[in-house]
Amino acid sequence: MKLREVAEKLGLEFLVAAAPEAEVEDGYVSDLLSDVLAHAQPKQLWITHQRHLNVVAVAKLRELSGVVFARGIRPGPEVIQKAREEGLNLLVSSADAFETAGRLHRLLFP
Amino acid sequence: MRWFRADLHIHSALSPCGSLAMSPRRIVEEARKAGLSLIAICDHNAGENGVYVRRLAREFPVVLMGMEIQASEEVEILALFPEEEPCLALQEELYALLPPIPNDPELFGDQVVVDENEEIVRTVDKLLLSPVPLSLEEVTRRVEARGGLVIPAHVDRVPGGLLGVLGLFPPGEWPAVEIAPWTEVEEAKKRWPELQGRHLFRSSDAHYPKEIGRAWTELYLRAPTFSELSRAILEGGGRIIRPGPPLKEVGWSA
Repeated sequence: MKLREVAEKLGLEFLVAAAPEAEVEDGYVSDLLSDVLAHAQPKQLWITHQRHLNVVAVAKLRELSGVVFARGIRPGPEVIQKAREEGLNLLVSSADAFETAGRLHRLLFP
Repeated sequence: MRWFRADLHIHSALSPCGSLAMSPRRIVEEARKAGLSLIAICDHNAGENGVYVRRLAREFPVVLMGMEIQASEEVEILALFPEEEPCLALQEELYALLPPIPNDPELFGDQVVVDENEEIVRTVDKLLLSPVPLSLEEVTRRVEARGGLVIPAHVDRVPGGLLGVLGLFPPGEWPAVEIAPWTEVEEAKKRWPELQGRHLFRSSDAHYPKEIGRAWTELYLRAPTFSELSRAILEGGGRIIRPGPPLKEVGWSA
């Protein structure tokens, strides 16, 4: 499913819409970047509370379809700037991580 | 120059997770027994017990003021200071920023400042185990602005280590990092190639008296002092930093 459609159905707000047509095949939930580096798979949408700048590098390295900050968390301007430069989709969910992941799972694997 | 043994990450009774037996007097006794020439007292977001450890030790061993500061990313860094004033000033600044969560000694343990006569000076109310609401970079900036040295703690560990949490080094210098007490240096360099070319420290991260000096760093310096340590990291000049052998027993890891 396209990220644009996922965002519409889940009520996610785009902070950086670098590639809204990116394909989302699956999801991943983690706040530890070392864990994401080791285990996340390409085309997963990553739900996190971590807002360090390294989120951008890790998401690009793993070829994720985008990053969703849970519970309305907003990263700093340097993260947004970096995501624009790197062409990484950033979104915010007003729902918490459990709810966001649950909705995404129902949407992708009905 | 000659070799000195250093353990730059020792908790005291001020850390809730630190044993109440970690009084300044006991810390000095154990550090002497372990043959340490240089130590640092690094409690969670606090450094006050270092004052009393210094009074007792009288430079045998040399005692640096320090803190283990938890940044908002839940990455922990050691902040080391040559003098008491900048460390205590930063402690006060961080305490004001800590979330107003009271410590529950039954759950987390006591947080006490203990003087050189084993008397409790005061009990700290807010839970010190919380992260301060400052980014890793901002914490680093504030430590360095006060003349302190930053050494990210147990970088390869989850939880709390810079690499364990953030996956890779963020932009910045990070010339010196601490590895976990049990980490095999060569294996760690394979997993985290960015450790190559950085000064690696190993420390005990002692929370109990018998753990003091269980892991250490060998330093080749003119004297076991803050300025020599700082020069070893920033200049070299024939000074050497070499982590001691790993602990057999593995604790937390990624």
